[in-house]
Amino acid sequence: MLLKNQVALVTGSSRGIGATIAKQFAKEGAIVAVNFVKHQERADQVVREILEGGGQAFAIKADVRDPVAVQEMIRKIKDNFNGLDIVVNNALNHYTFNPKTRKTDQSITWQDYQDQLDGNVHGSFNVCHEALPIMKSQNRGRIINMASNLVEFPLIPYHDYITAKTALIGYTRSLAAEVGAFGIQVNAIAPGLTYPTDSSVETQNDVRESIINMTPTKRLTVPEDVAGSAVFLASRLSNNVTGQCLYVDGGLVMH
Amino acid sequence: MKRTVMGTIKVIPVDIFKMPRGITLTNFGYQTITIGQLDYSLRFPIVTPDAIVEINDRLRHNQAAYLSHLTVAEIISKIDQAVNLWTHPDYPQRRLAMKLLPQITGYNAETVELEIKRFIRVFRKKELMRFVDSELDQPEILDDFHPQKSGSMTKAFGPETTFHVFSGNIPGLQIWSLIMATIVKSASLGKTSMSEPLFPVLFDQSLAEVSPELADCLAILPWKGGTMNLEEAATSATDATIVYGSDTALDAIKELVPKSKIFLHYGYKISFSMIGREALTPEYYLQTVKQAIEDVAVYDQQSCLSAQTIFVEKGGTTSPLNVAKLLASELANYQLKRPRAELTNEQAAAVVRLRNDYQLKALNDSDVQVFASDGNTDWTVVYHAHPGFVNSPLNRTIHVYAIDELEQVPEYLQPFKQYLQSCGLAVKPTRLFSLANQLGRAGIDRISALGEMTRAKPGWHHDGHFNLLDLLRFIDVEQNTERAAEKFDPDVE
Repeated sequence: MLLKNQVALVTGSSRGIGATIAKQFAKEGAIVAVNFVKHQERADQVVREILEGGGQAFAIKADVRDPVAVQEMIRKIKDNFNGLDIVVNNALNHYTFNPKTRKTDQSITWQDYQDQLDGNVHGSFNVCHEALPIMKSQNRGRIINMASNLVEFPLIPYHDYITAKTALIGYTRSLAAEVGAFGIQVNAIAPGLTYPTDSSVETQNDVRESIINMTPTKRLTVPEDVAGSAVFLASRLSNNVTGQCLYVDGGLVMH
Repeated sequence: MKRTVMGTIKVIPVDIFKMPRGITLTNFGYQTITIGQLDYSLRFPIVTPDAIVEINDRLRHNQAAYLSHLTVAEIISKIDQAVNLWTHPDYPQRRLAMKLLPQITGYNAETVELEIKRFIRVFRKKELMRFVDSELDQPEILDDFHPQKSGSMTKAFGPETTFHVFSGNIPGLQIWSLIMATIVKSASLGKTSMSEPLFPVLFDQSLAEVSPELADCLAILPWKGGTMNLEEAATSATDATIVYGSDTALDAIKELVPKSKIFLHYGYKISFSMIGREALTPEYYLQTVKQAIEDVAVYDQQSCLSAQTIFVEKGGTTSPLNVAKLLASELANYQLKRPRAELTNEQAAAVVRLRNDYQLKALNDSDVQVFASDGNTDWTVVYHAHPGFVNSPLNRTIHVYAIDELEQVPEYLQPFKQYLQSCGLAVKPTRLFSLANQLGRAGIDRISALGEMTRAKPGWHHDGHFNLLDLLRFIDVEQNTERAAEKFDPDVE
């Protein structure tokens, strides 16, 4: 097991990619905090599945946009498990990837951008702000921020989302530069269109097929693909890798 | 178990039959489908031969009173309005179909949704007009007497009532037959299979929203195939019988149909595809492979239009063996995208048996190779370095044959001639029609582009025959009758 007895917090893990990462971490031996804000039932279901599989997990509610709620969540984790080794900043303001209904440059408002920045960047900031002191005193820690390959290839210009995800990559690099000295690695994962999830279910078949046609592996990303890379970045397999963004999109974006 | 943990389950009744108004049924059976916290209780009537006769009498009456007076254009327009309802994502019948059909059939939910969305649009007004036009030079010949080049005045009549025996392999396909019969002004008695009893009922509900009188010309209900007394009652009471299904089902019903009545049948068929070397150039080979797999993966090859075997021509940039490997990868990708239905033990055993046979063969014969999904029966590709032809146990299992020239394919088809149906073809224009001619001689009745095999177009000759014409009979009023009639006009001098 690659994450035996490590304490991991996965934000927004009641569903989609987050839920799959939580389950994969648990399979690798981690004790997983399944964070949610609205869907208690679904978070409980994820926890139940992990427990049934012999893993360790618990559901914990907090809106990552709320610094006080985050402070309280991290305190609870620390009090119960005496540490926090891995954070995956996966939560975001709910977003629907629908090319037919997306907002164009004239219909989008600053508030839309603000909402995405709040969910993605401010949310990650709040969690890291509380987690880093714990990681620093352990002299180790892994932070993984969920970005998007749309940052490099805005195939469909979801302006607010892409702007916030781009900011998150900047945040990742800057933070990595600061906290590397404490043995903490900060990286990002940029998935391609990940299907199916609640967010992507409205991306029409024609669009999905056109992405598939451009993708070297001739398929879309599935949540399990992203979870595999998350395990890599959370585990010793990625020792001395920091400030990077790993594209999990079948080679649609290459660096 | 779920009931005690999660609390009570809500029961939603769903009728999987539809009767004309005035028919009262009293004896019912039920089947339950559970989705999450909801139990859908599917209700169907348990009928006697007398009830079948009574239903047919009612249909015959409604046909005479209403349907026989509509023009073809009016019928098409009403069907179009019903189809239009289905193009709205929130239409309740559509939502119910999308929810229940994957559970009932086991097919991937997204496949069902995409295919039903595509399929329903085949019946829009413009498509139905094309369809009728392709078989009848004068569609109005169904409405009134029309002059013919021979001099006669001719009118066409469809059956008053038609008995349809549906198979359940492809969701929704039943309405094709129902719509054909309706266009020729026949009322329909449809026997559905319990493996897909839902869609025609929901569609008839849509017709009822548009025209209750038209919906009253359809009766749809399931019973167990082979229930002799019911099928005998239905075949003798109606004027025509159309059967979809296996050869055994077909033969059993054929026995029952009186010789004087129309009997149409659509039985077991085998389809395949042929990839020319010109479709395997660097810019096209990946696209070619993807399209070829679409024909295999949609509805898990259960449609008679799905490819079971793929011939790959040598001499392309990509060798047939590499194409087989790419087909295998694409099947693996498709499994991630839209997983195949769970198989029954019997179906899974057929796939395992085929794999074992060919894996054993491959040990002593380097001309055979098997590429298969790990630890399950999700997909299988059997590669043959020498040409041949064999059908597949289906469920995403294909044979790939390397061949020097596609023109040699017909010689391998001979033993299967009576079963051949569609061929997906990827070749350059100069070869298309000579190959099509060869394939036509070999018994194939439809050629389509790769990736389009499972989506037959309106106006195709289903299994090589007419759809409407085979249901029709014609009455000619000879010109001499007209001339004679003129004489008897009291005002004529």
